[in-house]
Amino acid sequence: MSYIEELVSALGKEKVLLDPSERFVYGTDWSPRTPDEFAPPDVVVLPRTTKDVQRIVKIAYEHDVPVTAGAGLTGMLGGAIALYGGIYVDTTTMSSIVEIDPKNQTVRVQAGATLQEVNDAVQAYDLWLPHQPESKWVSTVGAAIACDNDSTFGVRYGKILNCLLSAEIVTGTGEVVELGHRKAHFTSSGYKLKDLLAGSEGTLGIITEATLKLEPIPAVRRVDMLVFPRMGTAVDYLSKLLKAGLCLEAAHINCKQRLKFYTHSYRQKFGKDPEIPAWAEALLAIAFAGDQEVVDSQREYALKIAKEFEAQLVEEREIVDAWWASKYTLDFEPFKQKWPDSQKQKKFGAADPGIPVGRLEEFYHKFVQVATKHKLEIIGMNAYLEHPSSIGFSLSCAVFVDYRNPEEVRRFRAFHDELSKLAVAFEGTMSTFMSDTYQKAPYLEVEHGASLRYMREVKRLFDPKGILNPGKKFPREAEKK
Amino acid sequence: MSGLEDFRDELETCFGTSCGFCERGCPVYQALKVKTLSMKGRNRTMLGLLQGKFDITPAVVQAAFECTLCGNCDRWCSLKNTDHTRAFREHLLKHGIEPMKEHSSLLASIRNYGNPWFQPRSARNRWTKGLNVPKVALGQRDVLFFAGCTSAVTRQLNRSLVASAKLLQKAGVRFATMGVDEPCCGSTLLRVGQTDAFKELAAENAKKFKSLGIKKIVTACPGCYATLKKTIEEFGTNIKVTHVAQEIADLTKSGKLRLKKSTERMTYHDPCHLGRLGGVFEEPREIVRAVATLVEMPNNRYEARCCGAGAGLQSAFPKLSRELAAKRIAEAKSSGATTLVTSCPFCETQLRTVPGIRVVDLFELLLDAAQENEKNEPFKSAS
Repeated sequence: MSYIEELVSALGKEKVLLDPSERFVYGTDWSPRTPDEFAPPDVVVLPRTTKDVQRIVKIAYEHDVPVTAGAGLTGMLGGAIALYGGIYVDTTTMSSIVEIDPKNQTVRVQAGATLQEVNDAVQAYDLWLPHQPESKWVSTVGAAIACDNDSTFGVRYGKILNCLLSAEIVTGTGEVVELGHRKAHFTSSGYKLKDLLAGSEGTLGIITEATLKLEPIPAVRRVDMLVFPRMGTAVDYLSKLLKAGLCLEAAHINCKQRLKFYTHSYRQKFGKDPEIPAWAEALLAIAFAGDQEVVDSQREYALKIAKEFEAQLVEEREIVDAWWASKYTLDFEPFKQKWPDSQKQKKFGAADPGIPVGRLEEFYHKFVQVATKHKLEIIGMNAYLEHPSSIGFSLSCAVFVDYRNPEEVRRFRAFHDELSKLAVAFEGTMSTFMSDTYQKAPYLEVEHGASLRYMREVKRLFDPKGILNPGKKFPREAEKK
Repeated sequence: MSGLEDFRDELETCFGTSCGFCERGCPVYQALKVKTLSMKGRNRTMLGLLQGKFDITPAVVQAAFECTLCGNCDRWCSLKNTDHTRAFREHLLKHGIEPMKEHSSLLASIRNYGNPWFQPRSARNRWTKGLNVPKVALGQRDVLFFAGCTSAVTRQLNRSLVASAKLLQKAGVRFATMGVDEPCCGSTLLRVGQTDAFKELAAENAKKFKSLGIKKIVTACPGCYATLKKTIEEFGTNIKVTHVAQEIADLTKSGKLRLKKSTERMTYHDPCHLGRLGGVFEEPREIVRAVATLVEMPNNRYEARCCGAGAGLQSAFPKLSRELAAKRIAEAKSSGATTLVTSCPFCETQLRTVPGIRVVDLFELLLDAAQENEKNEPFKSAS
């Protein structure tokens, strides 16, 4: 039997999509690609259980066929595109909430549950999963782990790895393994294999279930925005807030230009861009959350300190609300959602480096230079704080890409690569929320040097035949689709 | 109306965006979790088809027709997704695909009987028996009450029309009907992709309405409401289209009706064509609030989930359609309501197929509450 016949026999034909039109739908994500740059897999499978996934991988292992797991297909760098064809495993069909344990503040879910579905399920217990990317309605638990995407509330809760207690995976041989420490929050036992999953892009195993740590829902949240004359001053201010002992829930530095991309609702309402003082280079959005008195006192203290940093509070609440709608509530006017409306001609494309605290402003100017050199229209830079209670920047250096123009898509990719390598030269990292995918794979050595060999060995241990999401992290010799 | 090629830019924008926000509220995607049946997937299928990446196959046809056109995807987007889907259906039919057999029978019935339900034309006027409702004649009445095929020819739904008519009278609306000459609005034709047939019917209807000299059409059915609005817009006649709920909501505030208010918890299901696509949310709720305790389902107003009956899904995909109805009823029950109120004959019939909660028509509910009270205290006024 061919591997496809075996899949049909093992899963049933309703879980196997073979029609060219069906496969086509699964052939692209949110990354800048031209409209004819689809890479459809040879077959799409819709598993419902871990057992289904195990059957799929075992068949793929037997037949040496690539297996790429995906979910919402909102990746911004092609991480879940089946570049070498083979089997695409749509994990969104596994979206059950397995167990809610309010007493221990944990939830066990199938990996295809979206982050929003998890929160919808646990909200009744006054708990939430604070890992919250802008794509939370579509981004699944499995994809959030495998892509290691960003979170709006990183400065208080960290990212998905800070919430992940344990995960079940199906390795490249079809073995089901649980990695982690059950409901304990941390461990000193063994190697922390679970941590390898963050940003693994499905190259070590297909995540099928996860146990996540939940947090109590804060009673009140207050979001404010301040403008600063320079990026560096905003960084110094943040440092001072943390030194003072304040507990920030969210902190994001935007360059002035980037704000426009986050104020879609404002433009819808007033028909113009918000006015920001000409002297300002950076905007800092901060949030405090908790009991009203605590929020009020922390906010008051934060605003008092701001005066020392030449900062000015944004008094027009509509600007702050518009930014927050874009970043978190997604509360857009009906029929006027931001994303398609803001990408009619050109689409969002980004590099995602991480830069040491003291070099943010310097890197920002480099970003502008590199984008200009590649003749790309600049959207701007957003620096997220993604590590609990410390300043650690995840940067989104964004440009508009005319995706109907193959030459511009090529220039975007050159921009992305140059900025990624520059980040390493700045003693930082190439990726903080999109992972490596096929894009960074050819030059991963720039970042990892000799340690790359150990990574290859780890990969080999989990996936000896290299069938899991081939071409991601490590280039594959076979020709790309 | 545009053909599929006219939407190519929008399809490419969806390709370029790929946000997938449409998936969250899509009843079909949430039930099946197959991306080809989400709007994002359907837009990709349409784009691929236009690009010649694949031929029309049964899977393509399924992607086009396994959708209720409820517009929930549009709520979370800025593209005209339901228009894409309608154009997609039309495109397939124009490229040699036979209409789905279940849809073919609906179309034959509309052609032969003027309604999709194989009922004789005489049945259309049955509901007016015993009511003193005049037939429209030039210059006699400004307002036309448009009963709609489904409620008019289905005995079980006649009561809703009677209630609507009585309430309109109490609200002082001087109206007439077209009696057995009332045409089909063409909603079914439009939504199953029979665009040419729809255009022909709509042009005829617009001409008829114009010749009657009416200024306003009050519809009882949300599907007619949306379709006649489109007809009037496209053929440029100066006639206003409203739904009964909009005309009578004031009755509850003006004191013209003395109502018996119960403490029962009731929830209101927004019909897609009246709510999300028509923007009428508050008037029906005012009515429910006037007679009972209104509780909301988690997904309400713009986010209301479709009952699963629309756009030919009920006839062509009955199993899925029932599943969607069951989900909506489960949502209603989760709100703590013991009665679900709606204002659409399709939603009412569809949701009644699921046991576990009482389903009532908005206008019957209001009239009953008034009549309950009338036993002790007659209507204050009945203009």
